[in-house]
Amino acid sequence: MKTIGHDAKPAANRKHRQWLFPAGVIVVYLTIYFVAPDRTVNALMASGNVLKQMALPLLLAFAMMVVLNLFITPAHVSRFLGSRAGIKGILLSSVAGILSMGPVYTWLPFLAAIRKKGASVFHLANFLSSRAVKPVLLPLMIGYFGWRFALIFTVLNMAGALLVAAVVTYISDGRRKSR
Amino acid sequence: MKIAIPATAPDLGAVVENRLGAAPYLLVINTEDMSFEAVAGPSPSIGPGAGIEAISIVTDMGAKAIIAGFVSPHIALTLEKNGIAVITPVGGSVMDAVEKYRRGVLPGMTGGPQQPEVLIDSHAEPQLQTAFRKAARQFFSIFPVLAGVILLVGLFRGFISRDLLLTIFSGKVIQDTLWGACIGSVLSGNPVNSYVVAETLLKMGVSLFGAAALMVSWVNVGLLQLPAEISALGTRFAVSRTIAAFLMAIVVSILTVFLTGGRV
Repeated sequence: MKTIGHDAKPAANRKHRQWLFPAGVIVVYLTIYFVAPDRTVNALMASGNVLKQMALPLLLAFAMMVVLNLFITPAHVSRFLGSRAGIKGILLSSVAGILSMGPVYTWLPFLAAIRKKGASVFHLANFLSSRAVKPVLLPLMIGYFGWRFALIFTVLNMAGALLVAAVVTYISDGRRKSR
Repeated sequence: MKIAIPATAPDLGAVVENRLGAAPYLLVINTEDMSFEAVAGPSPSIGPGAGIEAISIVTDMGAKAIIAGFVSPHIALTLEKNGIAVITPVGGSVMDAVEKYRRGVLPGMTGGPQQPEVLIDSHAEPQLQTAFRKAARQFFSIFPVLAGVILLVGLFRGFISRDLLLTIFSGKVIQDTLWGACIGSVLSGNPVNSYVVAETLLKMGVSLFGAAALMVSWVNVGLLQLPAEISALGTRFAVSRTIAAFLMAIVVSILTVFLTGGRV
């Protein structure tokens, strides 16, 4: 029987542990600043540029999280993106992945939120793996590599996303057969 | 009426489990004729979503009441708003629990089986402020690692130039495919940038295998973001997804080149 309730100590430890990674990166920055100050400043500016590029998608992800908390109940998420969501769940997670913009880490807080509300591992992995397909960039890809390459590349990416999702589901949930 | 009970085994002699999400079996019992269906409970590896998954399963099967050792108060409230009665804490055998339910003597019951009832209260819609605060809390729970990833990406871009990376390609198919996948996994970012880099590689004489592998892994893998993904979705998910995406990038690039006849 599992213990009921939350243990405050591990939660606090987890909170502190989260800062270890950024603290480690800052230590690396400080260390290399003494070796190559100019390049370290360049690296810091590059980080600023990444943050600037992320601003809009980050805001969009945050707005979606507010909407999620406002209108979407765990039962909704479970029905549309749960492991029994069927083909509509696959379509929804694929389309959401295709339409999502910006770097993938922008979407991680959103994905963590819908996972807590009942989204399945399969659909989360499918969302992340479908992001290589971008219809708005298709003309550009055709311009660079030709329509034949663009078409095959896109179709194989979509199929590959489902396979990755199935593998991740199988590994994350060994008791069940992958969908 | 159908009631759902998490149980240790798929029969009425089993013991009522404490939590829906951790139960090996979920029983949905018709209290009129005591017929029942048993399904395997969700895997605990699903994590925090296991309870929700279990609720979804039993409500899909028509359960109008859930009897368990414990149900989280906020989930119980949501269920009750949707007309599903929640009765806790209940222990002992499933058969006893059903009998007590029929007699209306389970905790919180007042002399008769609890009928589902859609409650309408003033808190049915969460307030905007609460939703906003909750989103901010969810968002900032991952913020430290996200900040670390952004700094790491900047560090990489500041110290490793694109030209330096391009020099490692040899023109050999297997080697170039692997290098393309490795570089795409580390650099990552907007897909449009991968098209530019891939085209540059092709012009430099790198095989199409390498260029295609870079394009696939560029968006799908993301080694630098791995700490953030672990923090948000768990180690097993993040590591298995990253490895699977890397291998898939190689397979997809090879298939793409073969199917296009190696020409662009």
